[in-house]
Amino acid sequence: MHPMKPKHLLFLLTFAILATLLSGCAGGGATAASSWPGLTVDEENAYLAYNTYVYAIQLSNGSLKWRYPSEANRTVSFYADPALSPDGQLIVGGYNHVLYGLDPKTGSMKWDFLQANNRYIASPLVVEQGIFAPNSDDTLYALDLSGNLRWKFNAKGESWARPVTGQACDCIYLSSMDHHLYALDPADGSVIWQSEDLGGAMVGMPALSETGSLYIGTFDSEVLALNSQNGEILWRVPTEDWVWSGPTLAGDRLFVGDLAGNFYALNAGNGETIWQLTPGQLDGPIVGSPLVIDDSIYFGSESGTLYAVDTSGEIQWTQTTGGKLYTSPKQAGDLILVAPIQSEELLIAFDRDGAKKWAFVPEPKK
Amino acid sequence: MWNSLILDPMVNSLLWIYNVLANNFGLAIIVFTILVRLITYPLTSQQMKSTQKMQELQKSKKWQEMQKKYKDNREQMAQEQMKLYKEMGVSPFGSCLPTLIQFPIIIGLYQAIIRALAVTPIQLLDLSNHVYPFINAAALIPLRNYFLWMDLSLPEKDHGLAIAGFGLPILAILVVVSTFLQSKLMTPPSTTGDQGAQMSKAMNLYMPLFMGYLAYSFPSGLALYFVTSNLAGVLQYAIMGKLDWRNLIPRKPA
Repeated sequence: MHPMKPKHLLFLLTFAILATLLSGCAGGGATAASSWPGLTVDEENAYLAYNTYVYAIQLSNGSLKWRYPSEANRTVSFYADPALSPDGQLIVGGYNHVLYGLDPKTGSMKWDFLQANNRYIASPLVVEQGIFAPNSDDTLYALDLSGNLRWKFNAKGESWARPVTGQACDCIYLSSMDHHLYALDPADGSVIWQSEDLGGAMVGMPALSETGSLYIGTFDSEVLALNSQNGEILWRVPTEDWVWSGPTLAGDRLFVGDLAGNFYALNAGNGETIWQLTPGQLDGPIVGSPLVIDDSIYFGSESGTLYAVDTSGEIQWTQTTGGKLYTSPKQAGDLILVAPIQSEELLIAFDRDGAKKWAFVPEPKK
Repeated sequence: MWNSLILDPMVNSLLWIYNVLANNFGLAIIVFTILVRLITYPLTSQQMKSTQKMQELQKSKKWQEMQKKYKDNREQMAQEQMKLYKEMGVSPFGSCLPTLIQFPIIIGLYQAIIRALAVTPIQLLDLSNHVYPFINAAALIPLRNYFLWMDLSLPEKDHGLAIAGFGLPILAILVVVSTFLQSKLMTPPSTTGDQGAQMSKAMNLYMPLFMGYLAYSFPSGLALYFVTSNLAGVLQYAIMGKLDWRNLIPRKPA
């Protein structure tokens, strides 16, 4: 017999191994996490969107109430913060380009919106007027609460952050990776104003003050304050590295971290640094927005440490989570919830003194 | 090690070229590929020399006689072949090794394209850790991932060009054709029927299909690299005066 055939088989086998190696490098399968958990709470449950499921977890004891979909589907994954609507729905966007309206009591799907062309990385803004869902196809989709398209707005780049709205003007504020902030009319999506190029992409949600200022951090390593009426820059201050999530406004102070591992308390009026925790005091990049409750500020680091800091910048306590903390901590009554990645525990509840109350571990994959 | 020696320089070179070329990532990949071709020119040149030596050896009287003498004893023939290789200073893997060295480059480039395009938060966070200080990342990120009809971050199987309602894998076809052309033009058809010739024949058959599969299944940026690399290879060969279109015509083994 001619030896050609085994040789062909050998080549095919070699190519198959190489193809597998390359596939392994991709890490792009639906089950390989490409972001960190999205987290929202109501009075009874935490809703956690991570990888192939949206979980409803009971705040009383951390047990699973339901998950959507009930069985994992490799083509569907979720990472954006789910949003609760005024009419009792849970709105969540998927990496499969679909926005879902779920029943938060049962996890059953009420409707889906299929017209977007890319991932939902940003959480939607859900208010009485409807749903405002940014998609990575550079478009903000405005829907009614039944999931019907009302209008859409095209920016020049993706938006990874939930839009914000406030009392100061009847506006939707949208931060975009195209370096611009937009103020849109919620009725029809027309542009009220557009900021100048702010120097870098923004993936964080702006903070909006009652006095009419918008605060945002950029990849140009800056925190900026803008006039929410016209987009004019009021002040800008440098940070050491990229600012990922939006700053948190509490009274007249802004709290924000950067990717070098600094944490800043800024004067919201003029941007002056009131105090700063440096990488020597903290243990890694700060990605999520801080949570401010009364006189305490809570934030997580990439090294998985949850910090509680008082208003003078003194670290009150720290807790390690055994994973990486990118998701912003959330308050649920007396609990502080954190959602680490690369940890067995997907959701951990601490009390205000840093004592661990419970942890949610999803059942292992069968 | 892989990151600091291969991946980071590739990612930062891509970003730098992207910046120079008015933020066009498709053009950045093309220019980067040509640069990689120039850098790996010594390997290509060595491959060509080895192939030529092998061809000369296979045409020699000694080789032909040895083939006839041991045609019924494959083991003995293999031993004699090795002796002849040694004697003539020819490495049997001389033409194969440079091709294999391409694979780490392909894997590195694939990872560099994915890392630079950074379409998910984890990828973007990862990219932020690997950008050199002299690259003005703030002004560049996110990269524009569209080039002609392609979304360079998506595979053609998900984002192919639709003509009259049908998704056509144009890039994958271009990769198959250009890989076939390159391998045929750069590996002259052997007139002998020995193992080396059979290996080349198998490579020429399966390599284009394998590359086509990769082009279809992986982000289009990688397919763009394949096409550019193949065409640059053919051009390089032509400049060296080694291009012979008759290689495309199959010849019967002696």
